[in-house]
Amino acid sequence: MQPPLTPTQAWEPLPKAQWNEETARHLLRRAGWTAHPEAVARAVNEGLAATLDRLFPETAPPFVRPKLVRNERERMPEFRERIQSAATEMQQREIRREQRDVSRLANTELSLQWLQQAATPAHSAFEKWLLFLGDVYVIGVEKVRGSNLIFDHYDILRQGALGPAPVLTKAVSRSVAMILYLDLQRSVKQAPNENFARELMELFTLGQGNYTENDIKQAAKAFTGYRIGRDGFRFDRRQHDDGPKTVFGKTGRFGGDDIIDLIYQQSAAGTFLPREMTRFYLTDEVPDAAYFAPLGTWWKARGYNLRELCHRYFSSSLFYHPVYRANYIKSPIHYHLGLVQDLEMDVAPVARTTLVPLRQMGQQPFNPPNVRGWVGGKLWINSSTLAARRLLVQSLFMPMPEDRMNADEKAALKAAREAGHTRFAVTDEFLRSLAGSGVDATVDRMVARFLPSEPNKEYHAALRSFLKGEPLLPRIRGATIALLETPEYQLC
Amino acid sequence: MNNSLSSKLPATRREFLRMGGSGIGLLAFSRFAPAFLVQSSLNAAPAPEKDRSILVLIQLAGGNDGLNTVVPYEDANYYRLRPTLGLKKKDVLPINDLLGFHPSCAELSKLVTEGKLGIVQNVGYPNPNRSHFRSTEIWESASDSDVNDATGWIGRYLDNTCSGRPDSKGGDPVAVNAGNEVPQSFLGENPHPTFTLSGNLRRGGGRGNNTLSLLKRLAESDHEGSDTNEGFLRATMMDALVTEQRIQSLLGRYKSDSEYPGNPFAQSLKNVAALIAAGLSTRVYYVSLGSFDTHANQQGTHERLLTTLSEGMAAFQRDLDGKGLGPQVLTMTFSEFGRRPSENKSSGTDHGTAAPLFVMGSKIKGSVHGTSPKLDLPVNQDLTFSTDFRQVYATVLNRWLDCPNETILGKKFEMLNFI
Repeated sequence: MQPPLTPTQAWEPLPKAQWNEETARHLLRRAGWTAHPEAVARAVNEGLAATLDRLFPETAPPFVRPKLVRNERERMPEFRERIQSAATEMQQREIRREQRDVSRLANTELSLQWLQQAATPAHSAFEKWLLFLGDVYVIGVEKVRGSNLIFDHYDILRQGALGPAPVLTKAVSRSVAMILYLDLQRSVKQAPNENFARELMELFTLGQGNYTENDIKQAAKAFTGYRIGRDGFRFDRRQHDDGPKTVFGKTGRFGGDDIIDLIYQQSAAGTFLPREMTRFYLTDEVPDAAYFAPLGTWWKARGYNLRELCHRYFSSSLFYHPVYRANYIKSPIHYHLGLVQDLEMDVAPVARTTLVPLRQMGQQPFNPPNVRGWVGGKLWINSSTLAARRLLVQSLFMPMPEDRMNADEKAALKAAREAGHTRFAVTDEFLRSLAGSGVDATVDRMVARFLPSEPNKEYHAALRSFLKGEPLLPRIRGATIALLETPEYQLC
Repeated sequence: MNNSLSSKLPATRREFLRMGGSGIGLLAFSRFAPAFLVQSSLNAAPAPEKDRSILVLIQLAGGNDGLNTVVPYEDANYYRLRPTLGLKKKDVLPINDLLGFHPSCAELSKLVTEGKLGIVQNVGYPNPNRSHFRSTEIWESASDSDVNDATGWIGRYLDNTCSGRPDSKGGDPVAVNAGNEVPQSFLGENPHPTFTLSGNLRRGGGRGNNTLSLLKRLAESDHEGSDTNEGFLRATMMDALVTEQRIQSLLGRYKSDSEYPGNPFAQSLKNVAALIAAGLSTRVYYVSLGSFDTHANQQGTHERLLTTLSEGMAAFQRDLDGKGLGPQVLTMTFSEFGRRPSENKSSGTDHGTAAPLFVMGSKIKGSVHGTSPKLDLPVNQDLTFSTDFRQVYATVLNRWLDCPNETILGKKFEMLNFI
């Protein structure tokens, strides 16, 4: 598909007259997860600029280190000591297994608490932005393992999410999780490991074709000596190659930060992230880099400020163009949190009901399949992931299986309830609120509430005939379940 | 991709859908993909039938270290480049006077002795790319390394086979992959009914059945073209609803003729065997094993991975042989690249270029094909490939799938003699 606007029109602001319920719904569904009628009304009322100030504020919302994650950190010295003093290799292995279990439970809690924060309407846009940044600066639980390392990496992203991109990239190069994930700590002066330097240019900042193999080899030398100490990042001068390197045609005794500065002098740095945003927020058919050139030039002049980029992007004419409606396939996290918000629920703090469905749909928080991140689009959808999406919808309409829960799960549920999160299944009260005066009105209300576009007559007719008759409540329940499973609801 | 498709759709589609009640309409829909109705210029290959040859692709994701899989144990250069990771002559399992398997490949070694496994040496392509994703794309699309092709070689093969033959398959998927993503290899110019096997199938779907017929009606309601995301979702959903039930019961009933290890890779191969044994007309299966990206501490990881690979492949072959299906199935491995001949200082190896691949089946000829890589290289230099991976594809397409390979691969490649 050709982009609908010229490169100069594309990044012009949306005309004020076009800020209305439809464009507001588009913003809320794409920048966040859903467009609740009250949120739409508020956004229209406040105007686009004020809404964006709210969605992408000056400072990131805080996210507290969860209890089990703190527990993992506190027990680290104990485990270290026990492993050291273990008599046999067998015992050591046993202790390591125990330690992995502690980390696994902590990672579970981290995922669940983040999902709850992301489902909170006030924070949805920011947390989705964080998900995006985590999809660029990728690390994975499977390799990194320690929950504190995951938390710290995402905290770096959180603190840098609304500031200058070069500052964030430099911070990421010192992220212990990233150093582990891309084997940077094993890179020595005599034999630099190219993994980090390659992904830095290919996947974090510039993209394929904007550097040479030699740029990578030389840049890899600059990142030698990045190490992990007991208290986090450590620079080991003895392992650092202090000699001259030639990168992008410039020669000097560059260190890692110098390389990142050189990267951000490349014009590709201005267009790479906006293109990634387009893939993540707008369409699978991303225009080529040249199309983004005017935006890239502007962004570079703004010091690559990420918050300014968000404001400009989410108020651009391109973002609101009518061709980008109801044709973007929701990611599993979007689908899941969208359901939670649309059905006025809370995230159930239980792995079995929340994280297992996400895994089956193909997206675990903090765990992209590889360093490229999630590819998304049509690749989310196949027969088994669709089956998983349907099972998730059905499970939200069932009461929590509390009689089959273990003690930990029950405790987590209790803690969540005490924190005010109590809505773990769709309530009759909610279903009743969907009923209008007569079947036609109910169908209209359901469609307007859940779907990003008006479906055709047959769709309406099928819902109407299902809803006819008594008792009404089970019929609304069944119709809602089916509607939420249809292709129309999988799109935004 | 193909905006022209929707305009070519028959005007009878609406009637076509209306004709059936939910049951018949559903079945009809599941076979109703533009691919079957749009006449393609490429339709020389025979359509899938039950007794035709089947291809099983095994992806070794992450870049398998070829030199430590098929070891040149008489080459002093190998030990020069691999001072710590090099496998000792006394440990390898000899294939011939020069080459031996990694000690974890005992089962593969047996298959060579039985004449059921072939090794194609030093496979790669010109101007190699060392990015995982780009190189995987190159392998899956079978394109030159400077060409970006969104389709895959299997997809183009399916484009070729299936055009204009809507009634030949009884609703079977034309290709099946075990995993969470449809591989790029499967993507064609036209959409094809492929199916993804995963653990999700184990879950019973009894709940919410009263809403299933409503869902079918909602998903069936008429819409334009299937080249949009919406059309794609709709077609996938309708196909899935039908195929899911059938496949679930096939897997549940399956009794294998060999013991499979419990790991997910072997279990995926067992499921593939079940579908082949059930006589599905599916021609291509795809299974993936990761993660071979051994930048650091390679030894233990590589041992485990090769054990999984070797035992899984052997169990699969024995199962097929036991059922008399051996002659019908060719299995082939591939990996996006091999690894650097010089080990790095992290007890691992970095991204490289060429590597050996395996072909397995009861009709395989000869044990070693192609020539071994030259290792008289300076430190950190990469191997130069001697067999283009598209020569392997060309051989498989021509001699196994009976399909003119030049149409699929875009140019002529010299074939090999393993079939």
